[in-house]
Amino acid sequence: MALSKTSTKAEAGRYGVLIVLSIYCLMPFVWLLVAAFDTNAGLFLETPDSVSLNNFYRVFAEEDGLRWLINSLIVCGGATLIVMLLSGFGGYALSRTNAWWKRPFLYSIILIRVIPPPALIVPLYQVMLALNNGMRWLVLQVVPREHMRDVMQIVGFIDGYLGLILLLATMHLPLALWIMKTYFDSVSPEYEEAAVMDGATFGQRLRRVLLPLAMPGLAASGLFAFIACWDDFLVPLTFVSSPELRMLPIGIFSAFLRANEIDYGLLAAIAIVYTAPAIIAFVLARRFLVQTFGGGLKG
Amino acid sequence: MLVLPSAILLFAFVLYPSGVAIYTSMTNLSLTGPAALNPRFIGFDNYTKLFSDHTFWRSLVITFWFVLFSAIIGQLVLGLLSAILLKRQFALRPFFNAIILMPNAVPGVVAALMWSSMLASGEYGTLNKIVAWFGVDPQRWLVTFPLSMIIVVNIWRGIGFAMILMNSGLSAISEELYEAARMDGATTWQAFRKITLPLLVPTIFLYLLVSTVTTIAIFALIYALTRGGPAGATEIVGIYIYNQSFGSYQLGYGSAIAVVLLIFSLIIGTFYVRALKVEV
Amino acid sequence: MGTIVLNQVRKSFGGHEVIKGADIRIEDGQFAVFVGPSGCGKSTLLRMIAGLEDISGGEFLLDGKVMNDVSPEQRNIAMVFQSYALYPHMTVAENIGFSLDLKKTPKAEIKRRVGEIAERLQLTPYLNRKPSALSGGQRQRVAIGRAIIKEPSVILFDEPLSNLDAALRVQMRAELQELHRSTGATIIYVTHDQVEAMTLADQIVVLKDGQVMQTNDPIGLYKEPENTFVAQFIGSPKMNLFPAKVESVAGDVVRIRTDAGWPIDLPAIEGLRAGPVQLGIRPESLTLAAPHEPAEIETRTVLSERLGMETYISFETGGEPGIARVPGDHSLPSGTPIRLAVDPSACHIFDNDGRAIRSQSA
Ligand SMILES: Nc1ncnc2c1ncn2[C@@H]1O[C@H](COP(=O)(O)OP(=O)(O)O)[C@@H](O)[C@H]1O
Ligand SMILES: [Mg+2]
Repeated sequence: MALSKTSTKAEAGRYGVLIVLSIYCLMPFVWLLVAAFDTNAGLFLETPDSVSLNNFYRVFAEEDGLRWLINSLIVCGGATLIVMLLSGFGGYALSRTNAWWKRPFLYSIILIRVIPPPALIVPLYQVMLALNNGMRWLVLQVVPREHMRDVMQIVGFIDGYLGLILLLATMHLPLALWIMKTYFDSVSPEYEEAAVMDGATFGQRLRRVLLPLAMPGLAASGLFAFIACWDDFLVPLTFVSSPELRMLPIGIFSAFLRANEIDYGLLAAIAIVYTAPAIIAFVLARRFLVQTFGGGLKG
Repeated sequence: MLVLPSAILLFAFVLYPSGVAIYTSMTNLSLTGPAALNPRFIGFDNYTKLFSDHTFWRSLVITFWFVLFSAIIGQLVLGLLSAILLKRQFALRPFFNAIILMPNAVPGVVAALMWSSMLASGEYGTLNKIVAWFGVDPQRWLVTFPLSMIIVVNIWRGIGFAMILMNSGLSAISEELYEAARMDGATTWQAFRKITLPLLVPTIFLYLLVSTVTTIAIFALIYALTRGGPAGATEIVGIYIYNQSFGSYQLGYGSAIAVVLLIFSLIIGTFYVRALKVEV
Repeated sequence: MGTIVLNQVRKSFGGHEVIKGADIRIEDGQFAVFVGPSGCGKSTLLRMIAGLEDISGGEFLLDGKVMNDVSPEQRNIAMVFQSYALYPHMTVAENIGFSLDLKKTPKAEIKRRVGEIAERLQLTPYLNRKPSALSGGQRQRVAIGRAIIKEPSVILFDEPLSNLDAALRVQMRAELQELHRSTGATIIYVTHDQVEAMTLADQIVVLKDGQVMQTNDPIGLYKEPENTFVAQFIGSPKMNLFPAKVESVAGDVVRIRTDAGWPIDLPAIEGLRAGPVQLGIRPESLTLAAPHEPAEIETRTVLSERLGMETYISFETGGEPGIARVPGDHSLPSGTPIRLAVDPSACHIFDNDGRAIRSQSA
C-alpha cells in the first residue's frame, strides 16, 4: 500500500518534470510555425487573422528563396559527396594500413576536430583570397574575359561554389575519416579475402563487396557532414558576398537585418524551408549519434 | 595513397592557415588603410597589446561563464535528468524523447530567430507573457540579461545531445547492479550516488570534453541573436575574433586572439586524445 | 586432382620470421589437419596455400606445378573462413552463387547449381534469407556451400568449428567427413584442438613456432611421437614426463631409474646409452595396483577428479607432478596412499633435447 503510494507520487513527479522540460523545448517552435502560416505575422506570438501558404509562396516567387535553397543544396550536397568519397577511401586505408604515419595522422585528425572554426577564419580568408587570385589567373588563360564572372562563380574560392564546397568538405572531413576508420575496423578483412577466393577482381571487390559493406558507415559520415554543412553560418557569411551565391542561413540573416520593416511571416517561412532538411537528416542520423560520439566529436 | 587527397585538403585549409595565423598575428595587417597593403612585422606587439586589453579578458571571462553554465552545468544536468526519467519504458517515452531532441536539429540561425521572438521585449513578448502569470513585469531580456539569455538558449539546444549520451552511458550499467544494491538495502538516491554516478564518470568526462569544444566553437547562434552585444556582453571569444577582424578590420590583432584560442583548443584536444586512449 | 607439396616454405612479416622452412606433402584426396598452439603459424601457412599471403621463400606446388605466383582465383582452391565471412548484404543463394556470378555464368545455370548444393547441405528452405537470420551451424554450411560450388580440387578450412557449441561441433565433424567423402577434394583443415585433429584427419601436421614438428596419421602420432612437444600435445590429459637415467643395458632389457628413485625395466632400444633421459608415460598407461600386485610408483593423491566412467588422479613423485587416467570410479580423497603400475610396453624415452629414442623396428 505504502509502496504503491510513493510510486504514484514518483510517477507524477516524472511526468511533471518531463512536461516542464517539454514546454521549454517546444515553446520556441510555436511562434515559428504559427508565423509562417500567418498572412500578417509579427514578432509576437498571436493568433493569426488569416492562415495561408502565402508566405511560402512569396519565399519562392518574390524573394530569392529558391536560389538560396538551390545554392545551399549544391554547396552542402557537393561537400557531402566529397566527404563521403574521401572518407571512404581514406578511412579504408587508415583502418587497413600499419604504416608509420597512421598514428600521427589519427592524432592530428582529433586535434583538428577541436579547433573552433572562428579561430581559423582570418587566415582562411587570406588563403582563400590567394587561391581565388590564383584561380582567376588560371581562368583568364583559357576563358574570354566576358565569361570570367560566370566561370569564377563556379570555380572561384571567394564567391565561388568550388571554394565553398572544398572548404566545408575539409572542415567536416576529420570526423568522417574517423567514423569510416572505426567502421572499417569492424569490417573483417576476411570478407575481401573471401571475395578474392571467389575470384573477384579489384573492381568487383570494390563494387560488390566493399561498397555494400561500407554503406552504413558512409551513410553516417555523409549525414553528419551534411548536417554540419547545412548548419554552417560562418563560412557563407565570410566567403559569400554576391547575391547569386547567397545560401539559406545568410538569406535568413539578411532578411532579419533588413532596415525597414522586417517581414516576420516571410522570415519564418524561409526558416522552415531551411530547417526541414536539417530535421530529416537529424532523424536519419540519430541512430549513429552514440557510436560516433566515442571517436569523433559531436557531428 | 588513398588518404593523400584528404591530407592535402587538411593541409591547405587547416594546417597551413594555422601557420598563416601565427605569422599574421605578428604583423599589423588590416583590412583597410595602409596596413592592408604593406603589413609590417611587429613581433609580439599584438600579444602585448592583447594581454593588456580588457575587452579581450572580458571575452575570455564571458566564454568561461558561457561554457560553464550552458554546457557543463545546464545541458549536463538537464540531459542526465531526462535520460534518467526516460530510462524506463513507458507509453509516452518516444514522444518526450523526440521533443527533447528537437531543438538539437535546428540550425543555429533558426534557433536565434525563434528565440528572438521568445525573448522579444514589450508586454507581448512570449516569455514576458509567461512570466506575467507569475506576476513579473515585462523585461527587455536580451538587454538586461544578455549572457544569461544566450546561456538559456544554448542549454535549450543542447539538452538532447547530452541526453542521448547519458542514455547510452546509463544503459551500459547492468540492471543487476541495481538489484544487488536493493538487496543491500540502498535507497533510490543512494543507488544513484553510489552506483550510477561513479559508473557514469567516463561518459560524463568525455561529454564534458566534447561539449566544451563545441560550445567554444558556437558562432551562428550568438552572432545572429546578439552579434556579441549589447556592448560586448555576449562576445565569446569566437565572436570577438570575428568582430575584431571583420568589424574593426584588425586582421593582425584578430589573429593573435585566434592563436591564443588555437593553443587553448589544442590543450583540450590533447586531453581528449589521452581520454580516448586512441587505439590505432 | 590436388596433391600439395611445400618445399622449405618460409614467411616473414617485416623481418620477423613466422614460418621457418616447412616441408609438407599432402596426397590428392587426403584430409590433412594442421594442428598446433595458437600463434604457431597455422593460418599463415593456410593463407599462403590459398594465395592470400605471398610466400617469402621456398616453393608451393599443386599437382607438380609451382603456384607461388599464381593468383588465388586461378589456383582452383576454395577456403572456408573462421568467421565464415558470409556477405551480410547478400542472401544465402547469392552468397553461394557469388563466384559463378562473377564469372558471368548464366543465371539459370547458377540457380540450378545453387539449388543442388543447397539440397546437399539441407539449406533449401533458407536460400532467400540473409546470413544474419541463420544459426551458427547453418552459416557454417553456407560457407561450405560457397566453397564447394567452385568444384575446387582443394578446400581449406581455418578453425571452422571454433564458433560453434560443443554438440554442434560433433555433428559438424561428421558432416565434414561426409563432405570429404562425397567431393573427393583434398582438404586442409586448421585447428588448435587436438581432438578435432585426431577425429578428422588422414594425416596430421603438428606445428610449433613456425616449424613442422611431425607429420603422421593420428594413431602414428599417438603411438610414436617424435619429440616431447608432439607427445604432450596429442592426448588428454597430456603425457607425464619424468626425468630419469639409463642405469644399465643388459641383453634385451634396459633398466631406467627415475630421479624420484623408482626403476622400470623396458625392452632394449638400439642406440640407447647410459645417461640422463626423459621417461614419458601416458596417463592411461598407469593403472592402480592392488595391494598384492607389483607397482612402480608409490605415492599419495594430490587431487582426484571423478568423471564416473573414469578417474583422473593427480600425484607427485620426486617433486614432479603426474597424472593417471584409470577406468572406473574411485573415491580417493587428497592424501590417500596409492600404488601405480606402469605398462612397460607403452613407455616413451626422449633424450634431453626432447627427441624420441626408439628402435627402428618399432
Ligand atoms: N599480417 C601479419 N603481420 C604481422 N604478423 C603476423 C601477421 N599475421 C600473422 N602474424 C604473426 O604470425 C604468427 C602466426 O600467426 P597465425 O598464422 O595467425 O597463427 P595461428 O593461426 O597458428 O594461430 C603470429 O605470431 C602472428 O602474430
Ligand atoms: Mg589462426
